[in-house]
Amino acid sequence: MKPRQPLGADLVIPLLGLGFAAYFFVDIADLGWEAKANGVLIGAILVFLIAVQLARMGRQFARGEGDLRADPLWQPPDATRKRLGMVVLSAGFIAALPWLGLTLALWLAMLLALFIMGVRNRATLVWLPLALATAVFLLFIVVLESDFPHGPIEKLLT
Amino acid sequence: MTWQFVLDQFAANFGLWWVIWPAILLGIIIGILPGFSPQNTLIMLLPLTLAVPVEQAFAFMVSLYCANHLSGGIPAILVRIPGSGGAAATTLDGYPMTQKGQAQQALVLSFVASVAGGLITTLATLALLPWLSQIGLYLRSVEMVVVMLFGLTLIAVIAAKDTLKALIAGFFGLLIGVIGTDHIYNAPRATFGFLELYDGVPLVAALIGLFAVSEALVMIEEKLIVSREGRERASQSQWADTVDGLRISLRKWWHIVWTSFVGLFIGIVPGAGASIAAFVAYQQSRLWSKTPELYGTGIPEGVIAPEAANNGVTSGSLVPMLALGVPGGTTSAVMMIVLQYHGMVMGPRLFQTNPELAYGVFIAMAVAYIFMIFTILPLARYMARIVLIETTYLAPIIILVTIVAAFSERQYLFDMGLALVFGVIGYIAHKTNYHVTAMLIGIILGPLFEQYLVRALRISEGDVSVLFSSTLGNMLWALLALSLALPYLRKPRSQPVANGR
Repeated sequence: MKPRQPLGADLVIPLLGLGFAAYFFVDIADLGWEAKANGVLIGAILVFLIAVQLARMGRQFARGEGDLRADPLWQPPDATRKRLGMVVLSAGFIAALPWLGLTLALWLAMLLALFIMGVRNRATLVWLPLALATAVFLLFIVVLESDFPHGPIEKLLT
Repeated sequence: MTWQFVLDQFAANFGLWWVIWPAILLGIIIGILPGFSPQNTLIMLLPLTLAVPVEQAFAFMVSLYCANHLSGGIPAILVRIPGSGGAAATTLDGYPMTQKGQAQQALVLSFVASVAGGLITTLATLALLPWLSQIGLYLRSVEMVVVMLFGLTLIAVIAAKDTLKALIAGFFGLLIGVIGTDHIYNAPRATFGFLELYDGVPLVAALIGLFAVSEALVMIEEKLIVSREGRERASQSQWADTVDGLRISLRKWWHIVWTSFVGLFIGIVPGAGASIAAFVAYQQSRLWSKTPELYGTGIPEGVIAPEAANNGVTSGSLVPMLALGVPGGTTSAVMMIVLQYHGMVMGPRLFQTNPELAYGVFIAMAVAYIFMIFTILPLARYMARIVLIETTYLAPIIILVTIVAAFSERQYLFDMGLALVFGVIGYIAHKTNYHVTAMLIGIILGPLFEQYLVRALRISEGDVSVLFSSTLGNMLWALLALSLALPYLRKPRSQPVANGR
């Protein structure tokens, strides 16, 4: 007997698409036809395609060929821990930027990212983030004069 | 235009090596970095290009533009992160070549195809300019709607592993591309209440999220991005691999020629751009191949086709600007501003009033391509070594640096968060084979598609049958249907199993 396929993961994108299309339809309901023609056309095609995909998956469920597990998204467990850590860290990096400024926030984020990835060598943990933060500081703050939030380092050096 | 005129122009442009070389180096750097576009760089350097004589300004701009198109394929091949939308198709076979330890060959193929493709189409444009400039006149809103759909559905065909999933991803992307205010009433649509989305979804944030962040999240699973056999090959890479890449390129010369012409013709259509050209060329290459089942597994033709085409676009996109005064894309719009500042009037009269400039642009482009191959080819061996960096270091660098780069397009912190959101969506799409490339192309085409569709519908007062009202449009519909059907008709002979990712 063939093992059941973990089809739960396959549902995520269709459900996201369906949810977004529904939100889109509600949001444009009161607009003129020119403003909603394109969205209605594309949204209707998207909903139709998702319906076909869901029907296809429903048939697989009915035949006992798949179940609702979402293994492809969580495997292997060790990588998943690192992956989640990187996503949370990146969100924290963006949130901390207005207070710490680009250079300091990036140095800290890179140090923590390397730690999450399993690097324990102290020299690497200090120097690699420092090199990266310096390069980014030179490119974005000094050369391009981007509007990144200025923190203590930027205020001190520019 | 006489031979003497052409030779004089070549000599004059070779004399501008001191302008062309720095522009090429700058173009290569910004092409490698996602988030840095040639138009933004040209805008930043506008004071410089306005201050120097127009010939030097134009040599600088076209060199930077062409080098940018060439180098977008480098990160696409090495780490599966296209430097620009035009290089997205290069990931399909370029990255699998890297995983097999053939990164150096893939880079050389990409460089040769880009330079040869750019050079061939530039010379062809030079010879056929008066006729080519007429093509754009035949494409109206109706035809453009079909061209846009053509670009999107082709990707579903390329993702032959599961066409339905690719279509869902493509239309999901197309709907995301509609976010923002509409063109008629300026009414916000599906912005989730964010003012930052009123101008639409920023393309750089989408590109970075869907490709760079998501790929970094996937690569965490392995120690290196290359396979064990590939690791040995990559660590022992020699100059012989560069020679091998050159040898393969020479053997595939006809492939380079015809796919670069695909890019040229698509480049002439205003707004179509390098992304569509690269995918159309890739799809056509696979369609006419004797071994379509090998596409997506890392074969030279899969690198040559998109790279030759996206460089074929460079000369094509300048045709409507010079001949009709209609810029073919954002970069050519910036170039047009510089030319107008210098008192040049674009349009058919330019060829009579200022032939040195009108034809000289393409000669400068040809010279830039010649300089480019000698600059970049020796670097392939060293660039290929990047794949030997462990993902322990590579993944955090990619995630953090590209999220920082997402800021550069509009200078909003919001875009960095958006890149992260797209990164998570892209990761889920990667893992479940909902083709991220189709999603990205949908997002790129979304605003353009709407513009042409609404224009066509307004002309017909809302009658949808207008989409089937033109002969050329109907021919394009038929071609689209044929492109969708042909792989199925050919299936009994060969089973396409392209890499869904």
